[in-house]
Amino acid sequence: MADLRVDLGKIQLKNPVMTASGTFGYGAEYEEFFPVDKLGAVVVKGIAPWPSHGNPTPRVAEVTGGMLNAIGLQGPGVDKFLHDGHYLPYLRKAGATTIVNIWGKTIGDYCEVASRLDAESDGIAALEINVSCPNVKEGGIAFGTDPVMMGKVVSAVRGVTKLPLITKLSPNVTKIADFAKAAEDAGSDMVSLINTIPAMAIDIESVRPKIANVTGGFSGPALKPIAVRMVYEASRAVRIPVIGMGGIMTGEDAVEFLLAGAKAVAVGTAIFADPLAPLKVIDGIDAYLERKGFRSVGEIVGLFGRRKA
Amino acid sequence: MDSECTILKNDCLKGLYRRIVFDAPGIAGRALPGQFVHVRITPMRDRILRRPFSISDADAEAGTLTLVYKIVGHGTEALAQMRPGESCTILGPQGKPYTLPAEGVRPVLVAGGYGAAATYLLAKRSGEKGVLLLGARSDADLILVEEYEKLGFEVRIATNDGSRGHKGFVTELLEEALTPDRKRCFVYGCGPEPMLLALGKRSMELGAEAELSLDQHMCCGVGACFACVVKVRDDASPDRWRYSRSCKEGPVYNAKEVYYG
Repeated sequence: MADLRVDLGKIQLKNPVMTASGTFGYGAEYEEFFPVDKLGAVVVKGIAPWPSHGNPTPRVAEVTGGMLNAIGLQGPGVDKFLHDGHYLPYLRKAGATTIVNIWGKTIGDYCEVASRLDAESDGIAALEINVSCPNVKEGGIAFGTDPVMMGKVVSAVRGVTKLPLITKLSPNVTKIADFAKAAEDAGSDMVSLINTIPAMAIDIESVRPKIANVTGGFSGPALKPIAVRMVYEASRAVRIPVIGMGGIMTGEDAVEFLLAGAKAVAVGTAIFADPLAPLKVIDGIDAYLERKGFRSVGEIVGLFGRRKA
Repeated sequence: MDSECTILKNDCLKGLYRRIVFDAPGIAGRALPGQFVHVRITPMRDRILRRPFSISDADAEAGTLTLVYKIVGHGTEALAQMRPGESCTILGPQGKPYTLPAEGVRPVLVAGGYGAAATYLLAKRSGEKGVLLLGARSDADLILVEEYEKLGFEVRIATNDGSRGHKGFVTELLEEALTPDRKRCFVYGCGPEPMLLALGKRSMELGAEAELSLDQHMCCGVGACFACVVKVRDDASPDRWRYSRSCKEGPVYNAKEVYYG
């Protein structure tokens, strides 16, 4: 077995595989399938200062090569997340490396969640700032598609917490490198990408949108080449670690992201097809390293770029 | 629990309706009426999500799991092509089941379309035999009538076009099917959402207990993704309702829990 440990600067992971926010609930939902501490990290579904209903239904639609979703960040709010046994207390007890995805409608909201989590940070490895959700009217992608606004959110959050910060980038921009750089300059310790791509689908019989929100975020294997390209571009633009995601279904898919420059990866939509997908991805990465004679996962991070140069 | 299950039979029931039987001892032994399974239809390559199906029948001794489905889209088309000997990956049984009627309580099943597939196991497991009110668009969409009769259930039919039974909505048959002492009957519903909401309201007006099987487009099937939510009453919420995950807290809800707003 190859050495799968990953050094992300301020945090160390036992392996490079995380769960993408929104696809793994709060960890406890998958308890019956495998111990969550087997994962590099659990990235929980977005947490806001307040509980929120999310969007009307239908919230998801399947399309060729993936799916659209507009869940709209339904969630318990930070207070319940910190204190209800189903959420953070569960992850602490399970020994998970926990990354908390945070969001809000205003910069003040982001800071409020971050400082609440900072005050009770036992068991929290890092925060992931969600400036890229395509499915909420305020906040989300509105911050993530303007590098100046995004920088303001990140530096404001930086100001209220010592926890390592990951900025989750939107693919809905012309030049991803600029956004990765803006996050780095604003004090983000890492960037993660890509979030889903705004998309839509129409039921041609009823001439109605397939999801109630009309547009939703596209995810799934069809996305992977776009995500790999963006991870490649982002990782060449910054010195901070890049976490890659977008359509990873197998270990081979994950290897592609690592070769492109990601230091870690996240599995998302694949979990809906197979709850064991994250573990299979870990095994698949290990099998690749063994087969190619690499001793550690670090050896292949950015290997594509180095070879090319 | 997720397991690889071999298809034993996959036959036409009527028109576009199919009945599939899996060798699934792990699931069959635990399945309860109203629960569902989440099926990965293996041959589908470019469509990756699982499909939820109500458990229609489960035989613990034989280790078999039966689902009844209608060919309506990519998933069910692919499933209909599958042959005995092939297999699907099946997660389940999932979700909250129906409450079986207590002794001396008459079950009044109300099914719309292939909702009749989901209430079948309830009819089979129920010690008390009662009545099935079966509604559909037309005669061509009425399924499992003889099967319910074989279980000792009386079947009363309503069709929208009047091609068989009462012309109109199945909920119009409810009042007559209830016992005068409402404590001696229990309503169970499965079908399209508008029908279920009408049924829930009507049952409460008439003073009968009711359980409804509600759902929405499903994704993870285990409570993680919040896709399949339905509105339930929540007096603690400023809006008086909240979204509940039908795969986890449902699909069966008491009519009193549901938000009709």
